[in-house]
Amino acid sequence: MMEPPFEIEIPRGRVIEVQRDDSRVRRGGGLLRGMAVIWKHWKESFRLNRSYSQIHGTFTIQYPEEKPRIPEAYRNMPILLYDDETGHELCTSCFQCERICPPQVIHMTQAKDPATGKPVPAVAEFIIEYDACMSCGFCAEVCPFDAIKMDHEFELSTDDHAQLTVHKAQLNRPISYYASIAPTMWAEVRESALKKLQGNIRRRPDVIGIAPHLTERIAARRAELAAQAAAPSPAAEPASPPAPSAPTEARKLTPEEKAAKLAAIRAAKAAQAGDGVTPSAEGGTPAEAPPADDKAARLAAIRAANAAKKAAATDAAPAATGEPTTPTPADDKAARLAAIRAANAAKRKQAADSVDTEEGS
Amino acid sequence: MYDILQALINGTFGWGWPDWLIYLISSLVVVTIILVVAPLQMLFFTYYERRVIARMQDRIGPNRVGPEGIWQPIADGVKMFTKEDIVPEAADRIVHFLAPCVVVAPTILMFAVVPWGPGMTPVDLPTSLLFFFAVSSISAVGLMMAGWASNNKFSLLGAMRAVAQMVSYEIPAVLSLIAIVMIVGSLSINSIIEYQAGLLISNRDLPGIPDLGLGWFVFTPVGFVAFIAFFIAALAEGERTPFDIPEADSEIVAGYMTEYSGMKFGLFYLAQYVLNFLLCAITAILFFGGWQGPGVNWLYAQAITPTNPDGNGLFNVLAGALGVFYFLLKTYIFFFVMVWLRGAFPRLRIDQLMDFGWKFLIPLTLANLFSAAVWVAFTRWGAAEGMLITVGWSPVLRWLAAFIITLAINIGVYLWLTQVYAASQAERRRVELEELSATL
Repeated sequence: MMEPPFEIEIPRGRVIEVQRDDSRVRRGGGLLRGMAVIWKHWKESFRLNRSYSQIHGTFTIQYPEEKPRIPEAYRNMPILLYDDETGHELCTSCFQCERICPPQVIHMTQAKDPATGKPVPAVAEFIIEYDACMSCGFCAEVCPFDAIKMDHEFELSTDDHAQLTVHKAQLNRPISYYASIAPTMWAEVRESALKKLQGNIRRRPDVIGIAPHLTERIAARRAELAAQAAAPSPAAEPASPPAPSAPTEARKLTPEEKAAKLAAIRAAKAAQAGDGVTPSAEGGTPAEAPPADDKAARLAAIRAANAAKKAAATDAAPAATGEPTTPTPADDKAARLAAIRAANAAKRKQAADSVDTEEGS
Repeated sequence: MYDILQALINGTFGWGWPDWLIYLISSLVVVTIILVVAPLQMLFFTYYERRVIARMQDRIGPNRVGPEGIWQPIADGVKMFTKEDIVPEAADRIVHFLAPCVVVAPTILMFAVVPWGPGMTPVDLPTSLLFFFAVSSISAVGLMMAGWASNNKFSLLGAMRAVAQMVSYEIPAVLSLIAIVMIVGSLSINSIIEYQAGLLISNRDLPGIPDLGLGWFVFTPVGFVAFIAFFIAALAEGERTPFDIPEADSEIVAGYMTEYSGMKFGLFYLAQYVLNFLLCAITAILFFGGWQGPGVNWLYAQAITPTNPDGNGLFNVLAGALGVFYFLLKTYIFFFVMVWLRGAFPRLRIDQLMDFGWKFLIPLTLANLFSAAVWVAFTRWGAAEGMLITVGWSPVLRWLAAFIITLAINIGVYLWLTQVYAASQAERRRVELEELSATL
């Protein structure tokens, strides 16, 4: 009895009666077949099944006792990596992750060179709000230095909400940890990541960029730096004015003091270059310099010197070198600004000079 | 129990206590045993069902509380007891409170007539089968009370469905039992069990064969069809999965139990599982010989019984233990089958349920009733009853003739009914689709 399939139009579409090819009366045989399937499942379920290509057997993993092997590309929450050997963090605080993060849960402050106040390719503080993180993994994907990666740790439940705002100290993991959870993924990026890190380490002064919990590593680096400073090579430090001050004393200075001192030195140098009294090493004999530039540079130098002097004057107890120990922040800032300006002006003048000399010859 | 106490107190100790006191004590002991055993069976069944269904779904099931999770039902019970008892504001408080009691009481009452082993019947009524099914119908009243008193549309819908389903499926259940009752000629559950002694064929029909306690009704064509029909009806009465329409979670929350919480909900649960146990037990008793099995009758023949007062008391214990073992084994196997069906089949629609009950099961059991009559005529009747064909036949020939004729009748009816039923269902689908197209 082959009838055409029943078919009608309804407002939302079409209703079609499915005619299964088996139109026999099964007399309960279908029920028995269904029961046979379940019987096989029951019988086979006493065997453990870890192969997902098999449909029979118990798949259950007794969770707290045994844990599933997590695939490499699994991602849960972001972590930061640091190098095992040097202790340096891979992060350079480029803000790429902070920018791309969809729920905006990544926050960071860039590290600054305490001596110059200039940003250093390292991160001072790094915060991820795990409670709002959506585990999208964009941060890990966008990171140009492979510093942020997705962790496999998923047991994060806590009764303390504040604990889910995770700081750098808790985010830091050694590279070896990441290499153990995602070996092939790390092998792909290892070379470029370490190369970039070496480049960045060179631009990191003092102990900036070393994971803070690696105290012995930091101490070792400090000792290394101290040794370098104690045996000053003339090539390394051509300008000797700060050298007379004992290295121990120099290290005791706060960053602000250092900045002020450096500003004063720079300003003095710039002024010298601008005056043309002492010939600069690279400039040769100063030809007729453009007066405007010259004047500006000189003005800046004077200003810087004044600022430095003022900073020194405000101090009640001058140190042996005559440097302020506790400058007021405003003065300090002014001095630094002046120094920068002076340096810029000097540079500009030098550039002009070199152009002039080239034209002259 | 009365016999044991009578023998122990007045016989062994010679205290000479009055009869009424012994009756009272024995009744109290029996009631205590039943009230302890019934909830324990329920606790075990919940655990058993969860483990079995888990295995069928490639899982392990509860395995944390105690070894292999054996204390899980206790933990569930503690949870039930500590839950808040909420009665809806609009509910009829008295009826709402009474409904769980009305549902539980009959299921406990039904235990009174269930024989656990040889000579281990709490109350040996001559009409115990009638009592069993009459009492089991009372719980429908409790379900209706629960649904009505909750003042909730889901509850009422569930209760309506439950009552409709129970009333519909009691008919095929009882019709399939009548076939057995016709063959045995008694409404007493104990005599039905005793009838199933022997080996495949009851030794009443074929004297002289060894008594292995295997003369179960399920081995005869009449008994087999009755068993299938009864078990399907039992599924519907116990609200087990292809027929769990009254508490279809996906449609009406939990049916009549929607507005119950805490221990009242627990009582419904208890009633349901105790009822399932009893339905499995009665299936085992009626079609699989209850406590009958190899060795039980031989042991019991040497025990202290009213007919054999000089027996050895040790054999009472042995026969009882073996009988209870067989009985519980069969019961648990049937519950396994119930869980198996739950794992295999989806829920029926209410109209499919009604169709199947009224249009398929009832005709089938009616035809089976006719087969049972033929069976009785061939094996039992003689010239005095007007059965002239079999006069002079040997018992084996009579039995064979009865077996073949009833088998032919039952298979024929089954094939014809399935054909007709499938055709009617197809026709019905067709009409429904045409109605749909006509309305558009």
